Amino acid sequence: MKKLILTAAALLALGASAQAQETVRIATEGAYAPWNFLDDAGKPAGFEIDLAAAICAKAEVTCEVITNDWDSIIPNLLAGNYDVIMAGMSITDERMETIDFTQNYFPPDPSRFIAPSGAGLDIANLEGKRVGVQGGTIQAAYAEANLAGKNTVVSFGTADQAMADLGAGNLDTILADGAYLEPVVAASGGAFELVGEDVMIGNGVGAGLRKDEAELKTKFDDALTALKKDGTLDGLIAKWFDGRGPYFTE
Amino acid sequence: MMDDVNFWLGYLTNGKHLTWYASFQFTIFAAVVGGSLAVVFGLIGATLKNSRFWPLRLIGSTYSSIVRGVPDVLFFLFFPLAFEQGVEWVMASQVCTPDTIAAQSAAWPPCKEANWFLGTPEYLILASVSLGLVYGAFATNVIHGAMRSVPRGQLEAARAYGMTARQVLWRIHIRQMWIYALPGLSNVWMLIVKATSLLSLLQIADIVLWADRLGAPNFLPAVGLVHEDWRWRYYLVLFVFYILVTLVSERAFAALMRRAGRGILVEAR
Repeated sequence: MKKLILTAAALLALGASAQAQETVRIATEGAYAPWNFLDDAGKPAGFEIDLAAAICAKAEVTCEVITNDWDSIIPNLLAGNYDVIMAGMSITDERMETIDFTQNYFPPDPSRFIAPSGAGLDIANLEGKRVGVQGGTIQAAYAEANLAGKNTVVSFGTADQAMADLGAGNLDTILADGAYLEPVVAASGGAFELVGEDVMIGNGVGAGLRKDEAELKTKFDDALTALKKDGTLDGLIAKWFDGRGPYFTE
Repeated sequence: MMDDVNFWLGYLTNGKHLTWYASFQFTIFAAVVGGSLAVVFGLIGATLKNSRFWPLRLIGSTYSSIVRGVPDVLFFLFFPLAFEQGVEWVMASQVCTPDTIAAQSAAWPPCKEANWFLGTPEYLILASVSLGLVYGAFATNVIHGAMRSVPRGQLEAARAYGMTARQVLWRIHIRQMWIYALPGLSNVWMLIVKATSLLSLLQIADIVLWADRLGAPNFLPAVGLVHEDWRWRYYLVLFVFYILVTLVSERAFAALMRRAGRGILVEAR
């Protein structure tokens, strides 16, 4: 009898640990290189996909990366379609009202204006221009608040679409993350340049979670702390962002 | 020259492009299943509209007039979400306990156990049902009109032969109705085919979404081939695809017309 109870208890414990092994689903946009994009094989790749693998290995959880459109990425997190957002999402007070963030895994990064080379834009006194942003981003909120009065702010579903319209001459400039725009400028062969001053918005990029996932948040935070300390995170940033950093090690 | 050919062959058959080609199955599935459902809903709607019992008539005409008036994009977004929440609401009343409700921080669903995860297969089925519902309302009108066009004499003759009401309906009325309904139904079918381009609204990685992704300008060698804005080239392929579907559909409907017209008086055609 005692043996039976012990076996039952062991089975229960097994069942519990099997549940703890449940897959953590991580959503990314897949259209924001080098943060996250779809590689030639059509699979998600990039800085955040590498980082997710590192975090999940540290936290000893099984992870699966899926893609979801940017504009529905928070609603679908809340609806439970996945558990974590890692999509170059800046930590802001507005977003903190609905979701939680881990500590940042990318330091606060200045936003920049990009324009065709030699356009001679006066960014400090922008007037009567068409300014492109990706909808639902910190830059979109900033542009609505500061530029919309005298300019037309045009919102796009993805940053790539905004870039396509800038290339086609439908926009005068785009406001976006510096870490997104810098490789674009470098690879454009002089067609585009960064103009004006840095715009500091946001508190760095972190992973977004539902507010009731305290346990998962702790796991991710602990893993990030460890990855910052052992230099893995700085290594990944240097690898994907053209030798930037180090930010988190001495 | 050979290198060029090899390069483009390689580029057009990389994983991304293969995924794009594979995504045509979603479009074709949605069109075929949506189209079949539209005919089924159309038959049901027309039968209701023809009913001698006035509440059923009311349901039939309400369906065809309301759903026809709502933009398909709106219905496409509304129906799957409403259906999902309805299912979750029913599940919640079964599986949620006060504890699990208290533990849930999001406004919906009431507890995590009641959450229904919608992946591509689920969305695809819901999208097809939406298409069926929207265009079934058009088909209702087409079929209703076609059933009125069947000459009365045919039905009277059938009754005179001693057929039951059900036999008259299936063997004579609906059998002869197709010749009048098919031109209208081919129109409805073309509308359904066009509406399949909306699938990406429901997070289905369909042909339009992939054309958008593949055509977007790329500046980073790490991501793949560096190219400018190529979206119009990819949209052109979709253009050609839809034109081909139109041509095939026209042929198929012509064949159906010939089949439906067998043994029917020439003046009806």
